[in-house]
Amino acid sequence: MVIVKRKELSFAEQLYIPEILRGLSITFRKMFEPKVTRQYPEEALIKTDVTRGQPRLVVNEDNSIACVSCGLCEAACPAYAITIDGGETEREIEREPKRFDIDMLRCILCGFCEEACPKDAIYMSDELELADYSREALIYDMDKLKRPKKALQDRIDYVNRINDRWQTPSST
Amino acid sequence: MVKITVNGQQIEADPKKPLIHACHTHDVDVPMYCYHPGLSPVGSCRICQVEVKQGEAPGRVMVACRTYPAEGMVVDTESPKAHETRRECLEFLLKNHPLDCPICDKAGECDLQDFTYAEGQAAGRTHEPRRPLEKRKSLGDTIVLDEERCILCSRCVRFFEEIPKQAQLTVSDLGSRSVISTFMDKPLKGKYQGNIADLCPVGALTLTKFRFQARVWNLTKMASTCGECSRGCSTTVEVLRGSDVKRIRPRENLDVNGWWICDIGRFAFSHINAPNRLEGSLVREVPGLSIARNEDALCAVRDMMMRHKEVLFLVSPWLTVEEGQKLLDYSKRFGSKPIFVSPEHNSEKDTVLHTGDPCPNRRGLTELGIEGLPQKAAIERMQKSKCIVLLGERIVELIGASAVEALPHATSVAVFDCHALDLPQVQACVGIANSAERTGTWVNIDGVKGPIAAVKPTPRNVRALERHLDDLVKLSPSTESMGARAR
Amino acid sequence: MIAWQDLLVMVLKIALIFGGLINVGALMTLAERKFSAWMQYRIGPNRVGPWGLLQPLADGVKFIFKESLMPDGANKALFRFAPVIAALPAFMTIAVIPFSNDIVIAGKNYGKLAIADLDIGVLFLLAIGGLSVYGVILGGWASNSKFSLMGGLRASAQMISYELTLILTILAVIALSGTLNLAEISDGQATIGTWNIWSQPLGFMLFVIAMFAETNRHPFDFAECEAELVAGFHTEYSAMKFALFFLGEYSAMTVISCLATVLFLGGPSVPFWVDAPWYVGFGAFIAKTSMFLFLFIWVRWTLPRFRFDQLMGLGWKVMLPLALFNLFVTGVFVSLGWNLWAKLGSLI
Ligand code: SF4
Ligand code: SF4
Ligand code: SF4
Ligand code: FES
Repeated sequence: MVIVKRKELSFAEQLYIPEILRGLSITFRKMFEPKVTRQYPEEALIKTDVTRGQPRLVVNEDNSIACVSCGLCEAACPAYAITIDGGETEREIEREPKRFDIDMLRCILCGFCEEACPKDAIYMSDELELADYSREALIYDMDKLKRPKKALQDRIDYVNRINDRWQTPSST
Repeated sequence: MVKITVNGQQIEADPKKPLIHACHTHDVDVPMYCYHPGLSPVGSCRICQVEVKQGEAPGRVMVACRTYPAEGMVVDTESPKAHETRRECLEFLLKNHPLDCPICDKAGECDLQDFTYAEGQAAGRTHEPRRPLEKRKSLGDTIVLDEERCILCSRCVRFFEEIPKQAQLTVSDLGSRSVISTFMDKPLKGKYQGNIADLCPVGALTLTKFRFQARVWNLTKMASTCGECSRGCSTTVEVLRGSDVKRIRPRENLDVNGWWICDIGRFAFSHINAPNRLEGSLVREVPGLSIARNEDALCAVRDMMMRHKEVLFLVSPWLTVEEGQKLLDYSKRFGSKPIFVSPEHNSEKDTVLHTGDPCPNRRGLTELGIEGLPQKAAIERMQKSKCIVLLGERIVELIGASAVEALPHATSVAVFDCHALDLPQVQACVGIANSAERTGTWVNIDGVKGPIAAVKPTPRNVRALERHLDDLVKLSPSTESMGARAR
Repeated sequence: MIAWQDLLVMVLKIALIFGGLINVGALMTLAERKFSAWMQYRIGPNRVGPWGLLQPLADGVKFIFKESLMPDGANKALFRFAPVIAALPAFMTIAVIPFSNDIVIAGKNYGKLAIADLDIGVLFLLAIGGLSVYGVILGGWASNSKFSLMGGLRASAQMISYELTLILTILAVIALSGTLNLAEISDGQATIGTWNIWSQPLGFMLFVIAMFAETNRHPFDFAECEAELVAGFHTEYSAMKFALFFLGEYSAMTVISCLATVLFLGGPSVPFWVDAPWYVGFGAFIAKTSMFLFLFIWVRWTLPRFRFDQLMGLGWKVMLPLALFNLFVTGVFVSLGWNLWAKLGSLI
């Protein structure tokens, strides 16, 4: 147990007045110091490798969607933002999403979906802007979410690099 | 009965049933693939191995599904030796098993997946590519086989041999190329095919009607009862996001259906998911039926009944006991008794489950005192009466809209059904909940009670028939004053 | 019979003072945001108009178009009336503040820039000014919300405690100047040496502290107190009703700053320029008042909020005895005729 002794205050300190004046002088001086505000729409946000924007779906080179509607991202999503309905396809991988909605108003950009995906089909893009006139318009469907793989390549490389760090030597 | 020790716990076991059964009935978890309580054990998958000691001999690892309990047996399901053996078995089973979980419908309720998490190692040790086989092999209209996923437990083979007693499947080819196939690649037939998709411990057998439609963990599941015949098989109804029924699966109930249901019951949800539900009520006004509040519609029904001296209450055989009782009490005010429409026995009757009688609650309603009347006779009765109230899910479908249309225009009809009926005779339509949206009881042919569960919410403004009957009672003047009116 | 010129002059003065007060209230909202931003390394509103100068206008338009909510179970009449009660006293009391010396244009004297020259100006100001707390209490009570009610209760307790100190310090000033007329009080401090701040340093300090409490400003803004009471008495208010509360608050700040200027800083007197023209005096008055207004903002963004019991303790156990002591000493000096400061002042 630690007993914390209160500091004995001197008379001047008990009066508070000097301390108040000191505080006032600090705030007054701060007024003339350089500002840190970023003028957002004009000054764009700095995007780096780790920027985690809104999740987007990968479209392969042959124009097919990489997602197989396994629902793991849906299950991983802590904000219940994702809704998927699956269906059958003629492609070799038999399954693909018929409906893939992300409610961008619910999404908290946590990246769990990206981490959960076993098919490398969903990645956090660097798209951050989100504004519209209705809630419905912000529930993004598949068409709004699809992005060619090339557009997401930076993030894919970054994630692979991070994952390599945890890779245990094994063969599959 | 013999006394054995399982994991230090003294239990009594039936020596005629395999050891695994004794374990499972005493909440001891033993994995299994080829064993199924409803089928004869074969001991082919070897995943159920446990350590068994008898007398002074050192413990041996044995398959629990082919070992029978003997007096004084000491069983350890969790010994390191047992675990190690099971893990090795799993590694073999997984050697050629594709990494399909993301696209596999079984994922989430797959025994292989579950036990691999419990026992298996995270990464495989093989370098060879996995054996490629056919992934989309149709076994008829109901079942699709994925040969790669099959672990050759032979449950499906034994099912056809033992339950419908029509062998249709076999293991063909040899060694790692062994696959399940039908004789001469003929499509499967019979009405019990769906069961093998439930039986299959992995995702090798899938239902065409369910394939890829939903992930099983997204389904809301509730115990209910099948309404397709008077057997009243116990089922689990599974609903996706509170809207569509996606699957109906058998629920273990040794008094009724064991572990199985027929495909008629399994796929009997098209009428539940049918679009164009009557959401709310309709009342006849000058030009036609128009939307009304439930209360107003009930008032219209009451007024209609009070205008006529005699009222014919014709109900559907899907009425629950509770609804039947309420209706019986209510109809006494009019001095009449409800009659349920009892369709002809159909040709589906077989020796396994189906009784051929499509009234799931025949016994329940008859015991209440509500008599059944064949369709034709019911229609004749309708022609004789001036005021008819049709109640219950699918009642219109059962007597046929044309039968109502053929009635004289002066007849007043009120309908309580899930769908609207727009005919000049109809004075009011009241929407009611269907059998996935209400609770109640059906009594099957042997007198076993089967619960119906409300698995999903009703559409807005739609309520269960029971609630409407309650309201009718509240809205109606008492029996005496009605009698006075009739005089 | 009032000549029409006199009437015109009167109307002009009224328009100038009331218009000025409303505008100062609006500008204060902007100033508050700007200064707070600067003190926190931010820029503050800068989108509407040059340097965000039109922000108050935009806010006003926004307030007008906002939905005006009425909480369930609120006392409708009082709920609507409370903001008016809160805002009105400030407008009434500004009437007795003399903003300048006699206005002399082209040799003609138009009197002081003040709406009314009451002999009991100080009393009027205190009496009417004390009413504004009713707005807060009624608003809090009529909202049918526990947060609002607590806010209202606190406001009343605080007002009672600090009004005492305020009045006692003013009494000391009145004792010194021997008049209740605000114009005469300010006339009595024509030179910088005669400013009451020199003869009443303790009184001035107490007045400034009580001034913060009287206007419900930080560090004494217990009636709103976001941390504990959501927004206190105006939790349930929206749209123009909310805006009225704000206008009331800022107007009250302005009036009390004016009062402090008149009582302690010699009103329109310009240091070291005794016979300065009236407009310079008026400018000096504005400058002094602005200083107080800035002090309000400055303190708000510097000090943390008190605890409610500390507030009460400070009010009753420190401020009140000190104010009594101050009045006593002043009384002794005045009755003995020791007017040291007046002598000193006349030297300068
Ligand atoms: S980023 Fe997180 S919150 Fe957003 S969809 Fe993915 S899992 Fe859900
Ligand atoms: S986890 Fe990946 S593959 Fe699975 S549904 Fe989500 S995006 Fe598709
Ligand atoms: S298809 Fe399924 S049930 Fe049939 S043998 Fe293979 S794993 Fe067993
Ligand atoms: S379950 Fe016992 S060997 Fe398969």
